[in-house]
Amino acid sequence: MNAGASGEALYFDGVTSARHDVRVELGDTSLQIFGRDGSLMSEWPYPEVEELAASEAILRIGRRGSTRLERLEIHDPVFAEQIDLRSALVDRTGIIHRRARMSVIAWTLGATISLVLVAWLGIPAIATRLTPLVPPGIERRLGEAVDVQIRGMLDNGQAGADFDCGKTSTGARGRVALDKIVRRLEAAAALPFPLRAEVVRREEANAVALPGGRIYVFQGLIDKADTADEVAGVIAHEIGHVANRDGTRAVLQGAGLSFLFGMLLGDFVGGGAVVLAARTLLQLSYTREAETAADAYGAGLMNAAGGDARALAVMLEKIGGATEPGMKILLNHPETAARVAAINKLALARKASPFLDAEDWVALKKICAG
Amino acid sequence: MTSLEAGGIAMGGGVRFLGERRSYWRLLIKGALLLMFTLGIYRFWLATDIRRFFWSNTEIAGEPLEYSGTALELLLGFLIAIAILVPVYAGIFLAALDLGVIGKLSGVIGFAALGFLGQYAIYRARRYRLTRTIYRGLRFHQQGSASVYAIRAVLWWLLTALTLGLAYPFQLASLERYKMRNTFFGDLAGHFAGSGSRLFLRGLLMWLLVFAPLIIAGLTVFGAIDWTALTEALAQGGDDAMSRIEGSNPGFAAAIAFAMLMASISVGMAGLLYPAFQALVLRWWLSGLRFGAIEVRSHLRLRDVYAAYARFIGYAILFTIILGIGSAVVFGLLAAIGAARADGAAGEILATLALLVGYVVAALGYSTIYRATVMFSLWQLGVESLKLSDVALLDDVKARGLPSSAVGEGLADALNVGGY
Repeated sequence: MNAGASGEALYFDGVTSARHDVRVELGDTSLQIFGRDGSLMSEWPYPEVEELAASEAILRIGRRGSTRLERLEIHDPVFAEQIDLRSALVDRTGIIHRRARMSVIAWTLGATISLVLVAWLGIPAIATRLTPLVPPGIERRLGEAVDVQIRGMLDNGQAGADFDCGKTSTGARGRVALDKIVRRLEAAAALPFPLRAEVVRREEANAVALPGGRIYVFQGLIDKADTADEVAGVIAHEIGHVANRDGTRAVLQGAGLSFLFGMLLGDFVGGGAVVLAARTLLQLSYTREAETAADAYGAGLMNAAGGDARALAVMLEKIGGATEPGMKILLNHPETAARVAAINKLALARKASPFLDAEDWVALKKICAG
Repeated sequence: MTSLEAGGIAMGGGVRFLGERRSYWRLLIKGALLLMFTLGIYRFWLATDIRRFFWSNTEIAGEPLEYSGTALELLLGFLIAIAILVPVYAGIFLAALDLGVIGKLSGVIGFAALGFLGQYAIYRARRYRLTRTIYRGLRFHQQGSASVYAIRAVLWWLLTALTLGLAYPFQLASLERYKMRNTFFGDLAGHFAGSGSRLFLRGLLMWLLVFAPLIIAGLTVFGAIDWTALTEALAQGGDDAMSRIEGSNPGFAAAIAFAMLMASISVGMAGLLYPAFQALVLRWWLSGLRFGAIEVRSHLRLRDVYAAYARFIGYAILFTIILGIGSAVVFGLLAAIGAARADGAAGEILATLALLVGYVVAALGYSTIYRATVMFSLWQLGVESLKLSDVALLDDVKARGLPSSAVGEGLADALNVGGY
C-alpha cells in the first residue's frame, strides 16, 4: 500500500454550503483534509469513510453515522482507487453493492414463491376452516351485500322487463309452482336460514347460489328442462352449495386473495373488494370438489324429498356443453360423465313422486311470460 | 484533473443534466424484469436506483445533487403504511357490507378517506425526498403540516372538479405556495412566485379547445329534446324508456350522434394538447421557484416535449408489434398443446396463466417505455431549461433540518400517488 499518498478534492464541511478546494493526505489509519492555507480542516478514520451515491465520474465519500453531512468529492480516478484500497466501505468496483443486491433479489424471489404458495394452498385452506365459524346472521348479511353486486352483473337490462320473473299475472302462477318445489326441498334440507329462490331473465341454462340461502335459477334452465324434477334436481344441487356454504367460502377466499396481492402490488382497492369477491364468486371459485359435493348433497336431498335424483343427472347431461364460457357455476367440467354416473349411483331405485303435476309444470314454464 | 477544473465546469447560473439515456434504459429494463419475478416487491430498490440516477446526474452551479435515501427506508415506510391502511380498508370493506345508510355511503366515505390520505401521503413523501436530497453537504427539508395540506388539496380538487378544471391553475398555485414556503435548503427558505391567473390565461385556450365541443354537444342535445314529450314518455315508466324517448323525439338520435362526434373531437384534442399542457405547467412551475433571493427561470421549449412524446409513441408501437407476434406464438403453442391433450381443464389453466403473464408484460413494458422516454426527457429538458440568478448566494447557506421518516412514501406507494 502506498502510504502517504495525497490528492486534490472538493470538501463540504456539512455546516455551510461553502466549497473548499482541499488536499487530502492518506495516513495509516485516517485521511486528513487540508485547506489551501495548509490548515487541517478535518480528519476521518478509515472505518468511518463511506461511499455515497454519485455519478460514475465522481467518488463521493462521507462519514458514516455523522449527523453533520461532511462530503469529499474526488474526480481523479487514480486517487479514488487509493482511497478505495484503504476503506472497507468504499467499493469502486461495485462488488459489495452487487452482492448485497443479489441477496435482496434472492430473498424477494423467495418471498414471492412463498406468497404464491400461500395464495394457492393457504388461503383456500384458511377460508375452508373459517367458513363454518361464520354465524348464519352474518352470512345472510354477506349474501345481501353480494346480491347487490351479482344482480348488477347478471342483469344486463336488455330483457325489456323486470329482471325477476313471476311478477306478471301469468308469471305469478309459475311463482306458486316454483315455491312448491322449493318448499318441498327445504322441508327435507333443514337449513339454518330460509331459502329464497327466484327465476331471473338470463338466457343461459344455469343457476347460482349466494351466501345466505338466495338462489337464482336462470330462465334458460327452465326452458331447457323437460320435467319439473329436472328443475328440482338443479335447485337441490344449488341448495347443496348453500348447505356447504360454498358461496361464503368463495367470498372469504376472494377477499383474502385481493388483500394479499393487492397489498403486494401496491394497488388494493378497498371498496371494490366486495365487487371483486362477487366476481370471484361468479367466475372462479367453484372447485370440482365443491361441485361433486353439491351433486352428492343434491342427489341425497332429492332422495330425502321423495323425488327422482336421476333427474339431476339428466339435466347435467343436457346442459353440459351449453353453458356460457366463464359461467362455471353449475358445470362445464370435462368429467360430466363421471358426475352423472356418481349421481345415478346415489339415486334410490324406488317409485318417486313427481314435484309438480302437469298443470303446475306448464305454469312454471311460463313464469317469465310477459 | 485538478479540483479547480472540476469546480469550474458550470459556474454561473447553469444547471446541467449529465445522465445518459442508455444507462437509464438498462436500469429500467433490469428493474422491470425483477419487478415481474418478485411480484413488485423490488419496486423499493428500483425507485431508489432511479432517484440516485436522476439526483447524481443533476448538476447545479457545478455541483451534483446527492440522493441519500435507501430502499430499506422505503420498505419500512411501506410496512408502516400497511399497518395504518389495513384497518382503514377493513373498515371500508365492513361499511360496504352494511345494508343501511352507511353501506350506501360507504363508497363516498371510502373515496373521501382515501383522497385525504393520498394527499397527506403526497406531502409526507415530498418531505422524505427533500430531506434525502443533499447539495454541497447540506440537506433540504420541509416544514408545515401534512394534514393541513391534505385538507387544502382535497377542497381544491373539489372546486376544480366543480368548475370542470377552470380552477386548476389556482389550485396548483395555492398548493405550490404552501409547499414551497415550507421548503428549505439549509437555512435558505423557499417560496413560490408563480401566479395562478397567469397560468389560467395561458391555459384558457387549451381548455376551450377541449371543452367547447363538449359544451356544444350538451347544448345541442338539450335543444333537440322535446321536453314535454320526454316527460310524458318517462312518466309512463317501465324499462323501455329509451325506445319511447326516441319515439317522442325524432331528432334525438341525430343529436346523440352529433354529441358522440363532438365528444370524440374533445378526446382527440385532449390527447393532442396534453404534451403542450404538460410543458406549459412545467415551465410555469419551474419559473415560479424561489430560494431566498435566488430566482429560477425556465426556457422549456414546446417542440422538445412533443419530441419526447413522439419517441414514446414510436417505441410503444414497436413494443406492441413485438408483443403481438409473441402472444400469437404463445397462444398458437397453447392451442397445439390443448389439441394434443384431451384434458380441457389443464389447457384452460395454462391459457389463463398466459393471459395473466401477457398482461403483466404489457403493463411493465409500456410503463418502462414511458419512464425511459417521457419521464426521462421531462426531467432532462426541465433541468436543462433552467437559469438561476444570484447563484453566489448558494455559497453561504447554513445547515438546518433533520431527516424524516418514509411513512409518507409508503402511504403514497400503497395508494398509488407516488411521483419520481
